[in-house]
Amino acid sequence: MRRSAARKTGQSNSTAPITSSATDLFRSASSKASSKEMERIDNLFYSYANRSSGLIDPEGIENLCSDMEVDHTDVRILMLAWKMKAEKQGYFTLEEWRRGLKALRADTVNKLKKALPELEKEVKRPSNFVDFYSYSFRYCLTEEKQKSIDIESICQLLDLVLGSHFRAQVDYFIEYLKIQNDYKVINMDQWMGFYHFCTEISFPDLSNYDPELAWPLILDNFVEWMQEKRT
Amino acid sequence: MSLPTKRSATATTSSSSASATANFPPMKKAKSQAVSACSPLDPSCNKNGIHHFSSAATADNDVVFDPSSMTLDDDPKLQDRSPPAAANLSRKKATPPQPAKKLVIKLVKAKPTLPANFEEDTWAKLQSAIKAIFLKQPDSCDLEKLYQAVNDLCLHKMGSNLYQRIEKECESHIYAVLQSLVGQSPDLVVFLSLVERCWQDLCDQMLMIRGIALYLDRTYVKQTPNVRSLWDMGLQLFRKHLALSPEVEHKTVTGIYAESFERPFLDCTSEFYAAEGMKYMQHSDVPDYLKHVEIRLHEEHERCLLYLDASTRKPLIATAERQLLERHISAILDKGFMMLMDGHRIADLKRMYSLFLRVNALESLRQALSSYIRRTGQGIVMDDEKDKDMVSSLLEFKASLDTIWEESFSKNEAFCNTIKDAFEHLINLRQNRPAELIAKFLDEKLRAGNKGTSEEELEGTLDKVLVLFRFIQGKDVFEAFYKKDLAKRLLLGKSASIDAEKSMISKLKTECGSQFTNKLEGMFKDIELSKEINESFKQSSQARTKLPSGIEMSVHVLTTGYWPTYPPMDVRLPHELNVYQDIFKEFYLSKYSGRRLMWQNSLGHCVLKAEFPKGKKELAVSLFQTVVLMLFNDAQKLSFQDIKDATGIEDKELRRTLQSLACGKVRVLRKVNAIQMKETVEENTSTTERVFQDRQYQVDAAIVRIMKTRKVLSHTLLITELFQQLKFPIKPADLKKRIESLIDREYLERDKNNPQIYNYLA
Repeated sequence: MRRSAARKTGQSNSTAPITSSATDLFRSASSKASSKEMERIDNLFYSYANRSSGLIDPEGIENLCSDMEVDHTDVRILMLAWKMKAEKQGYFTLEEWRRGLKALRADTVNKLKKALPELEKEVKRPSNFVDFYSYSFRYCLTEEKQKSIDIESICQLLDLVLGSHFRAQVDYFIEYLKIQNDYKVINMDQWMGFYHFCTEISFPDLSNYDPELAWPLILDNFVEWMQEKRT
Repeated sequence: MSLPTKRSATATTSSSSASATANFPPMKKAKSQAVSACSPLDPSCNKNGIHHFSSAATADNDVVFDPSSMTLDDDPKLQDRSPPAAANLSRKKATPPQPAKKLVIKLVKAKPTLPANFEEDTWAKLQSAIKAIFLKQPDSCDLEKLYQAVNDLCLHKMGSNLYQRIEKECESHIYAVLQSLVGQSPDLVVFLSLVERCWQDLCDQMLMIRGIALYLDRTYVKQTPNVRSLWDMGLQLFRKHLALSPEVEHKTVTGIYAESFERPFLDCTSEFYAAEGMKYMQHSDVPDYLKHVEIRLHEEHERCLLYLDASTRKPLIATAERQLLERHISAILDKGFMMLMDGHRIADLKRMYSLFLRVNALESLRQALSSYIRRTGQGIVMDDEKDKDMVSSLLEFKASLDTIWEESFSKNEAFCNTIKDAFEHLINLRQNRPAELIAKFLDEKLRAGNKGTSEEELEGTLDKVLVLFRFIQGKDVFEAFYKKDLAKRLLLGKSASIDAEKSMISKLKTECGSQFTNKLEGMFKDIELSKEINESFKQSSQARTKLPSGIEMSVHVLTTGYWPTYPPMDVRLPHELNVYQDIFKEFYLSKYSGRRLMWQNSLGHCVLKAEFPKGKKELAVSLFQTVVLMLFNDAQKLSFQDIKDATGIEDKELRRTLQSLACGKVRVLRKVNAIQMKETVEENTSTTERVFQDRQYQVDAAIVRIMKTRKVLSHTLLITELFQQLKFPIKPADLKKRIESLIDREYLERDKNNPQIYNYLA
C-alpha cells in the first residue's frame, strides 16, 4: 500500500455564531457543550503528551494504559489507535486524539476505559474488521518506505489481531512461518491473503482450498505443509 | 388237405379250418407270446403279464392237448418274460385236466379255403389295432387274436402285403406325430422334451407292433432280403420323416447338440484350460507360456475343423482364449513383459501382441509398454553418474523401441503415440540436463577429429538426435549450450565440416522456426565476414606499412548480439600484440565507422614458436598462456605475484592458466589445448542460471504486457494466457512468484472486492 505522507494539521473547532432563536440557542448550547467536551479532551491529551514534541509518545501511552488498567500490548490499544486513525505506532497526535475520543464520547480516562468494550464490539463487526485488520499491518510499518514486516513481529501481530477469532489457523500459521525459509518478511498482500484464508477456507481440513486460484504463494506452501503434516 | 403247421390251440374259429390232427407240436411261442406281449391296452393282464385265457380249453374242436407237454419258448427279443413256472401254473389253472378222450377225427370233405376277404378283414383288425396303439387308445381286439391274425396272413403268404401295409400305417402315424412337433415351442429345451416324449412313445409303440407282428418279423422279414425288421423299419421311418421336416430336425439336432453336447463340452474345456492355465503360468516363463497358448489355440482350431461342428469353433476358441489368456493378462505382463523388452525378444513380443489382439487386451499391453518406457527411461535419465552416456543410451533405447514397434507391434498407431508420450515424459523428468547433454553430444559429433564417421552416418546421427530434441520442453536451455559450443568450434576452427554444421542449423530451423536459429546463423555470417575482413586487412595499406614483422595475426570480428556473452578479461599484452591490435582497429574503424570494437582476450589463441634445448617446437596456446610464456622470454624464474603483476590477469584465471602450463607437460601440445577447451563446472551452471534469469525477465515482461492490454484480468485467465505465450516450461508456482513480485513493485494490484482479480496499475 502506498503510504500517504501528508498529515493534517490540527484545527480547533470554530465557535458557532450566537443568535437569539431557539434553535440557535440549542445549537449554541450544544456547541458550548461540545466545546467544553473538546476542552476536556484536549486537557486529557496534554496530561499524557510530551512537553517538547506535543505528542503522546510511547511513555505517555504506557501511562494512559496503566490509568485505564489495560496492558499496553493489549489489542484494545490497537483498536483505540484504529479509532483515532493514528498513523505512527506509539504516538498520538492531538488531532488523532480528538478524533478518537470524540467518536468514543469519552473525555475522561474513566469514560475512555468504559468505552473500550463497546469499541471492541464495533471492531469485531465484519464491515469494520477488515479495515482494522489492514490498519494493524500498516500501523506496524515504522520506516518511511517500509512495505513488509519481519516474521517475528508478524507472528505477534497475528496473535494479537486474529488470535481470538481464528485460534487454530493462527497457531498453525505461526508455527509454519517460523520454520519456513522462503520468506523473511511478510507484505500487505500476504497479510490480507491470510485473513481471507481464515474466513473462507474450512479448517483444518482445508478441503476447499485451491492452489490454482490467486492465493498468495506463501499460503499455497502453508497448505502443502499442513497436508504433509497430516499424513 | 393241407394242414397248417404250427397252430395255436387258441385259434379262432373263423380263421381256422376245422379239422386238426391229433398231434400237436408243442405250443410254443404263441402261448408265451401271448403271455408276455400283454400290453397295458389289455385290461385282463395282470402285472406279471400273465394272460389268463379262458378260452384255451373250450374250443369246440375236438382237440385235446396235454398241458404237460407244453414248453415255453425263450424268445430273447421279448421284453417281459414271464417265468416259465408261473405260466405253467396259470395254464394248469386255466385248463382243468381233461379226462383223456379218444380222438375222433372227422374228416371234412371240403377243401379248406380261406373265407373271402380274408386278407382285408384280417388287415382291418390289425390296422385298427395299430391305430389304437399309435393313438394310445384301447382296442377291442386282444393281442392273441392279433397275433393270430398276423400268423394267418403270413401263413397264407400274405406276408409282404402285410409288411407293406404295416409300414404304411406306421409311416402315416409317425409322420403325423412329427408334424405335430412342427411349430412347437421355440425353446430348445422344451422342444427337446417333446421330441423325447415322441421318441419314447414311438419306441414303445413299435415294440408293441412288433410284438404283435413278431411272426412276420421272424418269417417274412428274415426270409426276405433287403427288408428291415419292423423295429428298424420304424426307426427308418422316423429318421426319414425327421429329415423331411427340417425345422423339427434342426431344432432337435441343435437342441441336442447345443444342449447336450456343446454346453458341457465347453464347460469341460473351460475347466480344463483354467486348470492348465494356472499350472503353466506358475511353472513356465512367459515366452514359453505364450508359445504353449499359441499351440493350444491352434489345436482347438484344428479340432473344430476335424471333428466338431463349425458352430462350435467360435465359442470353443473363445473359451480357450478366455481361460488361457484373458485371466492371465496382468500376470503375463507383470512377469515377463519387462524381460522381453529388455532382451529385445522380437518374436516373443510379436506372439504376445497377436495373442493379446485376439482377446482385446492390447490396451493392457500398451499401458505396460508405457510404464516400461518410463521406468527404463527414468533410469537412464536420472542416473547422475552415467551422464556422459545418457544421450547415446537414449538413442539406443529409442532405436530398439522403434524396431520393436515395427516388427512386434505391427506399427500400431496407438503404440507409437504411447512411445512418444512416454519419451517426452522421461526426457523432461530432469530439468535441463538432458538438453545440455544433447548439445554436448552434438558438439562432439560436429567437432573435428571424428574419424571414421562418414557424412551419411553423421547425418543419420543428427536426425536421431533431433528426434530426442523434439521431446525436450525447455528448448532455450539447449539453445544456450549449443550456441556456446558452436562459438567455440567456430572460433577455434574445430568444426569437422561446415556443411554438417549448416545442415544441423537448417534441421533446427525446420524444427523450431527461424527465430531459434537466427543468432546461430549470424555466427556463421560473422565468421565468413571475418575472413573477408582479414583478407582485405592484409591487403590494406595499414597492414603493409605498419605491422610488425614476424607475426601473423587474424581477427574474428563478432557481432555482439549473436554470440554468447563473454566476461571481459583484461590482460597486459606484449607490446607487439598491442600494436597489432591498434592497427587492426584503425583499419576496421576506417571501414566501418560508428562501431565499437572490444577485444575478447579470453578467446584469443596463438601459435608460439618456442626454442627448447631439445629443439624448436610450436605451441598452440591460449592468449593468456601466451602472455605468461612470453614473460619467460626475459626471465628464467618468475613468482606467481610477478606474473600476476606483469600480465594483469585476474587471479582465478591466472591460476588456471599456470596450472595448464606447469602441471601438464608444456611440451605436449594436446594437453595444453585441452585445458582451454575444457569447460569448468562454473561455466555450465552460470549458463543455466543465465537462462533462468532470462526466463524470469520474459515472464515479467509477459505479465506486464498482458495486463497492460487487458487492464483487468482474473488470476486463472492470466495464468492461461501466460502458458500460451511462454515458450518454455514453467510451474504455476513460479508464475505466482513473479505476479507477487510485480504486485510488490506496484505494476499490478489485487482488486479490492475480489482478490482473484488483478488490476493493471499504470
